[in-house]
Amino acid sequence: MASSSRYAELHALSNFTFLRGASHPEELVETAAKLGYEALAITDECSMSGIVRAHAVAKEAGLKKLIIGSELRLRSGRKLVALARNQNGYTSLCRLITTARRAAEKGSYELTRLAFEDGLPDCLVLWIPDQDYTLDVEDHWIRETFRDRLWIAVELLADGRQREQLARLREEGRRLKLPLVASGDVHMHCRARRILQDTVTAIRHGTTIDNAGFALYPNGERHLRSLDVLQRIYPADLLEESVRIADAIDFSLDELRYEYPNEIIPEGETSATYLRKLTEAGMRRRWPQGVSHKVAKLIEHELALIADLKYEPYFLTVYDIVAFARSQDILCQGRGSAANSAVCFCLGITEVDPARMEMLVERFISKERDEPPDIDVDFEHERREEVIQYIYAKYGRERAALAATVITYRPRSALRDVGKVLGLSDLQVGRLSRSMQWWDGHKVDDSRILEAGLAPDSPIIKRLLYLVGELIGFPRHLSQHVGGFVISDAPLHELVPVENATMPDRTVIQWEKNDLEDLGLLKVDVLGLGMLTAIRRSFDLIRGFDGREYTLATVPAEDPVVYDMICAGDTMGVFQIESRAQMTMLPRLRPRCYYDLVIEVAIIRPGPIQGDMVHPYLRRRNGEEAVDYPSEEVKGVLQRTLGVPIFQEQVMQLAVVAAGFTPGEADRLRRAMAAWKRRGGLGPFEEKLINGMRERGYDEGFARQIFQQILGFGEYGFPESHSASFALLVYVSSWLKCHEPAAFTCALLNSQPMGFYSASQLVQDAQRHDVSIRPVDINHSDWDCSLEADESGAATLRLGLRLVKGLSEEAGQRIVSERAAGEYTQAQALLERAGLVKRELGVLASSGALQPLSGDRHRARWAVAGAEKPMPLFPNIARYEATPLLQKPTEGQNIVADYRSTGLTLERHPICLLRRHLDRYRYVQAQQLPVLGDGHKVNVAGLVITKQRPGTASGVIFVTLEDETGQINLVLWKQIAEQYRAALLNARLLGVAGELQIEGQVIHVVARQLFDHSDLLGDLSVQSRDFR
Amino acid sequence: MRRACKPPVMGREAAPTSLAVQQDLPLVGAAVGAATGREAQQRPQGRQEISTRGKSRPMAAPTVAPVEKLWFCVWLPHLPLESVGAAIGRDTGSQPMAAPTAVVEEQHGIHRILLADAEARAAGVMPGQAANAALALLPALELEERSLLREQQALEGLATWLERFSSFVSIADHNVLLLEIAGSLCLFDGLQALRQEISRGLRELGFTAMPAIAPTPLAATWLARSGRRACIRDETNLVPALRKLSIACLNWPAALCEALTGMGVTTVGDCLRLPREGFTRRFGAEYLLALDRALGHLPDPRNSWRSPERFCADYEMTEEQVDREVLLNICNELLQSHEQFLLARQTGTQRLCFSFFHLKGPATELRLGCAQAERSASRWFELLGIRFEQLVLPEPVIAVRLRSGMAQALQAESGTLSFHGKPGAQQQRFSITQLAERLIARIGDQSVQATSMVAEHRPHYAWRSQSLLSDWSSNTLDEPAQYLQRPLWMLPEPALLPADSGCPIHQGCRLRFIDGPERLETGWWDEDGISRDYYTAAGQDGRRLWVFRNRNRTSSWYLHGYFG
Repeated sequence: MASSSRYAELHALSNFTFLRGASHPEELVETAAKLGYEALAITDECSMSGIVRAHAVAKEAGLKKLIIGSELRLRSGRKLVALARNQNGYTSLCRLITTARRAAEKGSYELTRLAFEDGLPDCLVLWIPDQDYTLDVEDHWIRETFRDRLWIAVELLADGRQREQLARLREEGRRLKLPLVASGDVHMHCRARRILQDTVTAIRHGTTIDNAGFALYPNGERHLRSLDVLQRIYPADLLEESVRIADAIDFSLDELRYEYPNEIIPEGETSATYLRKLTEAGMRRRWPQGVSHKVAKLIEHELALIADLKYEPYFLTVYDIVAFARSQDILCQGRGSAANSAVCFCLGITEVDPARMEMLVERFISKERDEPPDIDVDFEHERREEVIQYIYAKYGRERAALAATVITYRPRSALRDVGKVLGLSDLQVGRLSRSMQWWDGHKVDDSRILEAGLAPDSPIIKRLLYLVGELIGFPRHLSQHVGGFVISDAPLHELVPVENATMPDRTVIQWEKNDLEDLGLLKVDVLGLGMLTAIRRSFDLIRGFDGREYTLATVPAEDPVVYDMICAGDTMGVFQIESRAQMTMLPRLRPRCYYDLVIEVAIIRPGPIQGDMVHPYLRRRNGEEAVDYPSEEVKGVLQRTLGVPIFQEQVMQLAVVAAGFTPGEADRLRRAMAAWKRRGGLGPFEEKLINGMRERGYDEGFARQIFQQILGFGEYGFPESHSASFALLVYVSSWLKCHEPAAFTCALLNSQPMGFYSASQLVQDAQRHDVSIRPVDINHSDWDCSLEADESGAATLRLGLRLVKGLSEEAGQRIVSERAAGEYTQAQALLERAGLVKRELGVLASSGALQPLSGDRHRARWAVAGAEKPMPLFPNIARYEATPLLQKPTEGQNIVADYRSTGLTLERHPICLLRRHLDRYRYVQAQQLPVLGDGHKVNVAGLVITKQRPGTASGVIFVTLEDETGQINLVLWKQIAEQYRAALLNARLLGVAGELQIEGQVIHVVARQLFDHSDLLGDLSVQSRDFR
Repeated sequence: MRRACKPPVMGREAAPTSLAVQQDLPLVGAAVGAATGREAQQRPQGRQEISTRGKSRPMAAPTVAPVEKLWFCVWLPHLPLESVGAAIGRDTGSQPMAAPTAVVEEQHGIHRILLADAEARAAGVMPGQAANAALALLPALELEERSLLREQQALEGLATWLERFSSFVSIADHNVLLLEIAGSLCLFDGLQALRQEISRGLRELGFTAMPAIAPTPLAATWLARSGRRACIRDETNLVPALRKLSIACLNWPAALCEALTGMGVTTVGDCLRLPREGFTRRFGAEYLLALDRALGHLPDPRNSWRSPERFCADYEMTEEQVDREVLLNICNELLQSHEQFLLARQTGTQRLCFSFFHLKGPATELRLGCAQAERSASRWFELLGIRFEQLVLPEPVIAVRLRSGMAQALQAESGTLSFHGKPGAQQQRFSITQLAERLIARIGDQSVQATSMVAEHRPHYAWRSQSLLSDWSSNTLDEPAQYLQRPLWMLPEPALLPADSGCPIHQGCRLRFIDGPERLETGWWDEDGISRDYYTAAGQDGRRLWVFRNRNRTSSWYLHGYFG
């Protein structure tokens, strides 16, 4: 029976009302459209977080009208639903939510009558009665405030008293002269979600489901009900009233107009003239001898393109931030689609010279693609906060805020919460969460559940797995984005509500990055990068040591010696290409120029590895495989990477040239790629892509191959625009390592923790490169590691007090500043002059830094343990006490103490001392391996320094050992890893019997047997860095 | 989870002479005579003075105290693990642990292995590992959460068990027991035999014990922790033995051990070489004194362990008695001394058992229970009076015994309920618990139930009844939902109603719906989920009924209750 009734749902919560709503906004929108509702209002509780998603699907789903509103609970307990009638109403609602959220702790809100002082103009208000259907508390105020914009909501939810409820509310309506309207208090899109709704309710209350009691709803009526059902429940006038309200509302997010901030433009200029002026000034600076015709043409072209898209204010905003950083001597580097343009080079946003690589700006910005430009700027990680504070100061907290990141349930967190709610113990949940590694989106292997000591057939496990599957992907809370800033001309809270972040003095908007993209809002990513800190420190150290000046742009380009070093895989500490996977790839890829580095950065990533692009590229590069292209168009796209798609941009371009996608569709494909694993497939794109290619004459095989590669890219596809900027840092850090190893190591040590390697490995690597290192010394070390000249004037590295574990920076700085008055001669002096406490003296003694004062560590510790604050009345009273006979520490004890205190030793390598024991097992040193032949059976042993199980390598585990002569790379096949898992997990000193695999300069030992020799180490604590 | 272990059974009471001893008495599992409590022994031993020593003199002064005592130390390094299996008193066939087991302890939110059994260790499970890592190694690993209570109980059980070897047993640490055995040596055929017997006993009880014997308790403890099974009877041998010990055996704070190790001081001998003054200044006098105590230079008094007490008293009559009045008086007398016993210990008990012994047949028993711990003789006597009326004594009684249950802390009295008797009669006031006790005493435990409201949407779960004698404090009353309309009289099972063209019929007439439906779809989390529409309906006589039908099929109508 076709229903004649019409209905608009005006009160619906999505799962962005965290742990209350049990459906995604998209699901609500799609269902409402399917049911033929006249309108759907998304009214999340004091939040606008979910509306952009709803907005994005509303048109596609065919929803007649999407209304934006919010459910609000006043401190008095009153509940209202406010709906934005027009843009002004939306703005006032955003302002109200901001006020309420800012007044309370993160994640909650506080709403009193005061917040409604302006009467919430242009919002329509539903008044939600309480459980007793009464309205009288405060009614006078509510009626006066909202007058003719107020309705009484009648929510008939089968609680057994519907008749009573309706009668009573009719009566109230007559008494208060207010109209009644039907609404649904919707928490889910379909009844079946009530199970999940009960579950999230129990999670919210922190209780188990069977103890949740009346916190749960008695039934599943709070879903989007069909028109037929509604017609049976509600009188027709109430349903019709909902439509009347919906008709009175005329607002869509499309109306939001975002304005770039304009104060960056000086008076008398327009954004276009000012950008041109700055660009021309930059040209003169970058090319003092004059600009080549080609570059001039490129710049003109780019400026025209920018003007066309009206992007000038965006470039100027980023320029302003970068100019500030430069004025403060903070190193920065832009990357992203718009960053690698000649204009950005002129503006100083990037240091990548367009002459250095064939940059086509259209590759990054396109006229047709309807997407805002994207520039991420990396700053020194320790000084990023200064930049953030500058932005806040310049635009004010009203106009600048961080974007949010929606934290969603992942398999583990979902399992933990659902497990608790179903009454499993912590231990049981812990056991199961290990099994979640095998979660494939629907089920976990029965054997894994058995292994966890639970029965896979038991009803509770079935419920658990079902609920976990449903809960994954649900938003849990808002967090702040790492550095995505939104800056606007008008106060932001007129655009989107702003709330408090966890960090004090931080605010975030309620939308995340994708939402901003959807609405075309400007965003600048202000990110921190450790390597920039290290590079800046290297430059500073070099300048301080002998006065030579370098910048990112002036480091000598394309130095063949640097490429020789890179080709040898000698890249420990270098940006990006220092991981073991990169190191073993370098001798095969043999990068010889800047663009090779761009490829290198992008290719050793999960995307290209899973998409099987590495080997074809290697073969083609080595001339083992012919490079061919199915067409000229494809050649245009893939030529620079020898026919193998490596960059994200190439995939999109392929979709355009080979499958006939519009640039806009290609962009949607990119976003779908990032999410296909979660959503399960690329849906309509797959068909369109393959059909498109077939129609254009490409064979099925090629089409399928391209599609597979796109899938493989998944979330990990790396854009060329980012790779290009990173490659510059790769080159600069390599150059520093090659030519200034002491300064570079020193800078890396001072920037820890960063990168793949520990201080100990960096120091050993420097020693192998003939850098001499001096120990921590109370009378010579600064807080940071520093450079000292040796007898011949060469730079040597003095370890800093920062390496001493347990010593605060403040105490360290005091030691250094007090030393200006003269060197310390005894431990007591440290206590008196530098104001150290006994514990700090203790850690200094353990580190060996007091060697010059008290002799060996044992005596130093005795001395500092006895040091006491001078008595105020007898400041100079001397204390005589017997000197004990303490044993001198052995070399082994010294090494153990070194590792414990500073994480490294300048004595012999611990393996040196154990070599005598190890010889019994005929273990070979790392340096002897190259001499032996491929396939040789060898035994090796060393400290375990890294363990890595890449997600891409089907259970293979890579372990790196370190002995006194260098590092040994182990390959453990899955079966060996299983067989020896105790040794693999526990060993700090691992012995291996295996087979040597030598391929050019790449040496691996394929393990056959493992032996745990940790007992030989005694107390030596070695920290292995484990990567997944 | 395994059953928590019980303290060992230590029956030491003697049955009344010439009486048939009745069978087991589960009520008082481990009854120990009322008079077995011993005074704490606090006899200082060794010399009393602390000699003042020169500044640079080494710490150990070569003075020798005469041997007065000999201490046997039992160190139980695996107690957290071994207390899991309820190993003590394992006569009722508790099977040995089947799966590899480890005990875990939570540290900073992560469960870490504290101890693992041999099988688990062989697989690479070791202390300090995260529980998940251990499971990765050994998926079959059985994990037990550490329970200090369980360990304490096991330790107390062992202490009680060890009382058979010495009159002085002391719990020295959470896993250390000390026995003074100088006096026991002759009773047990010398030291060797005693040591063997203790070791064998512990092994049979399922505990790994590291024993050591030394003239001072601390030395014995340290030596035991070293795992060397030392036996030093002579104080002259004490110093050399202690010198060799690593400071790790002393159980000193980790920071102190670390500081000492950092100075190259790793053994007790190294410690003793340090100057006394310098040592005190750096580490505090406490540890210097500990060294002195271990060496016997200072007294080291210890507290003696006392096994738990229960009241047990007999009243023997010179001749057989049938007069119930007399018997009741005897019972009262026993209750009076019971009250004195509890008063002295500031405790009460919830259960009592009277045994009436006969010359021939088995004893007749009468058990009493109380809702709260109680010691008042008059209160117990009142309860006894009610039950005693119904007690059938098959034969004359020759003796009466009173035994009490576990001693418990007393609770404060709750509010009272007033009952109105006949007009004019004096109002009696009872507390609810008194009422419950009297009811139970009269009509039996099973017949009196407490009802509590449960926060549950499902009507048949919304009430819960339970025994009144169970622990009340564990139940919290959830606030009832005031707005819910529920019939006062619920049927135990819904009753099927006949229907006429979809309309339910009750007592021959069609029901008229007043309001509804109240839809209940809930309870999916157990095996008893419901999906029903409830209606309030009126019958012909105006009585309001609560009826429902199931939602998901063409269901019949059911009657579930009557309103007021």
